[in-house]
Amino acid sequence: MTDTITPPATAATAPPARSRRPYRVGRGGRGWLVGRGALLLIGAAVTLFPFYAMVVLSFKPTGPVTFPDSLLPWPFSTEAYDQVIGAKSMLRWMWNTLLYAVVSVVGVLLFASMAGYAFAKKRFPGKETMFWSFLAMLMVPYHVTMIPTFIIISELNGVDTYWGMIVPTLANAQAVFLMRQFIASLPDSLFEAARLDGCSEWRVYVSIVLPLIKPILATLGVFVFLWHWNDFLWPLIVGQSIDMRTLTTGIASLQQENVPLNMLLAGSVVAFVPIFMAYLIGQRYFQEGVSTTGIKG
Amino acid sequence: MVALPESRVRGSRPARGPVRRPRRPSAREAGTALLFVLPFLLLFALFRFGPAIAGVFLGFTDYTIGGDTSWTGLENFRRLVDDPTFWTALRVTVVFTALSVPLSMLASLGMALLTRRAFRGAKLFRSIFFLPVVTSLVLAGVVFTWVFADGGPWSRAMGALGLPAGNWLADSALVVPALVLVSVWSRFGYGMLILLARMQDIPAELEEAALTDGASAWQRFRYVTLPQLRPALFFVAIIETTVSFQVFDMIYVMTGGGPVRSSYSLVYLLYDQGFKYFDLGYASAVGVALFVMTIVVALIQRLTLGRDK
Repeated sequence: MTDTITPPATAATAPPARSRRPYRVGRGGRGWLVGRGALLLIGAAVTLFPFYAMVVLSFKPTGPVTFPDSLLPWPFSTEAYDQVIGAKSMLRWMWNTLLYAVVSVVGVLLFASMAGYAFAKKRFPGKETMFWSFLAMLMVPYHVTMIPTFIIISELNGVDTYWGMIVPTLANAQAVFLMRQFIASLPDSLFEAARLDGCSEWRVYVSIVLPLIKPILATLGVFVFLWHWNDFLWPLIVGQSIDMRTLTTGIASLQQENVPLNMLLAGSVVAFVPIFMAYLIGQRYFQEGVSTTGIKG
Repeated sequence: MVALPESRVRGSRPARGPVRRPRRPSAREAGTALLFVLPFLLLFALFRFGPAIAGVFLGFTDYTIGGDTSWTGLENFRRLVDDPTFWTALRVTVVFTALSVPLSMLASLGMALLTRRAFRGAKLFRSIFFLPVVTSLVLAGVVFTWVFADGGPWSRAMGALGLPAGNWLADSALVVPALVLVSVWSRFGYGMLILLARMQDIPAELEEAALTDGASAWQRFRYVTLPQLRPALFFVAIIETTVSFQVFDMIYVMTGGGPVRSSYSLVYLLYDQGFKYFDLGYASAVGVALFVMTIVVALIQRLTLGRDK
């Protein structure tokens, strides 16, 4: 699990009203444009090279291929994919990862939005104390709490179970913090009206709060999915049997078995494609999430 | 920590007339509110608050799973101070952080400046630079192991430049720099987005004024942009330091802490002690050390980078 952090001082979860007027200051001459273009292209090439290598090398037949030639797209073979998907528990790990990520997203969004709503719009005894204790816990590194959490889970016989892996990650204080910030910015009158019409609190939450907070649900959902999909240390210690590994811990275990490189990379591609698709589709949420809330990538 | 004290804003209630809310929450209102908070509260108490307290507490015991536990006072910390492995892990972690945080922030700043203005393709470049941030460090580790392998792209490139060729990951002096490069690759896109968001908020008039006054590009950057970026730089520094102090995934995949512990980090030590040797008390003491380090460095950064002008 990733650690949680408070957003930068400017953080406001509501979309910022930003002037988009084109900026003409200091646009230098042709030299600057060419220089900038060259630097950006080099930066992009360096950034993308590992992805290119991952894909190309995963489509190589097993056997030694030495460096410069190995970057050519031939000889082409899907052998590594057949082997890694067929012989290894890849599909099972994919399923585990999906379950871990999706159930956690639903759980975090549900519990955090309920709590965030109460913290933003309701009054109850102990509210301030609770909220500040949530914030204070953001300071404590995840690794300090991980050991006692593991002990609790193992006392409850949760090691090597889905619930043991998922439930502790639902206590995400950063999610509550972001929810509260967002809901606090909504006008009270929206809720009051429904309440005067005789709606129950649960009804207000389901039919008024939830539809209004869709933007923050999307942003947070995307990040919670990402954190869980890429999570490593917690699944490593709590999912110990082969069948309970996730894609990250599974691929790390393949690597320690000295599986050939093309198979390792085929596995990596399989693990990467879903998050890549999610990134392509939800790019806006990833990037705006970072820029407006400072949420950790 | 930046927290927003906003709960005081609510006092603008009219003194008379149709009072919209009673002064004190009714028992009913408080009850339903608590029901909304309850599920999260239970999870938080059991898996975050409790463990945070217990994690510090365990550092003062000799807890092992299934064994007896007794209070051993400062014994674990004494052992830590006498343990050469701890000092190795501390050194590796500090060197790794001291190299990767500034380098990654420089890359963030550079790329933010280059993609700052709207031009055709700016969005595409930003998306490319952010891609490593969403990529698991396990996958990155697998690919970079190949990149750094003997005879691979990195060793060839270094050889051509007359720098040390060979497998950097197998060289006890070069393994940390190699890991730093991976870390910079994986993290700079995050800082870039934070800095870009801040840059968009800098009023254009400021730079226009500087331009009219004949300031050079460097002067505008140094005296207009950079001061405005200070809070954002502080934020990125804190996050990147925290992330670097906790480096584990890529080391696990790329080097296993080797060669001969020259890339053995604190979290690696915590993992080994806790989950290989099941000495959870000692592992917790390592966690406490990590906690203290994080706070101390955050305070130092607050006093330097984060200070008010």
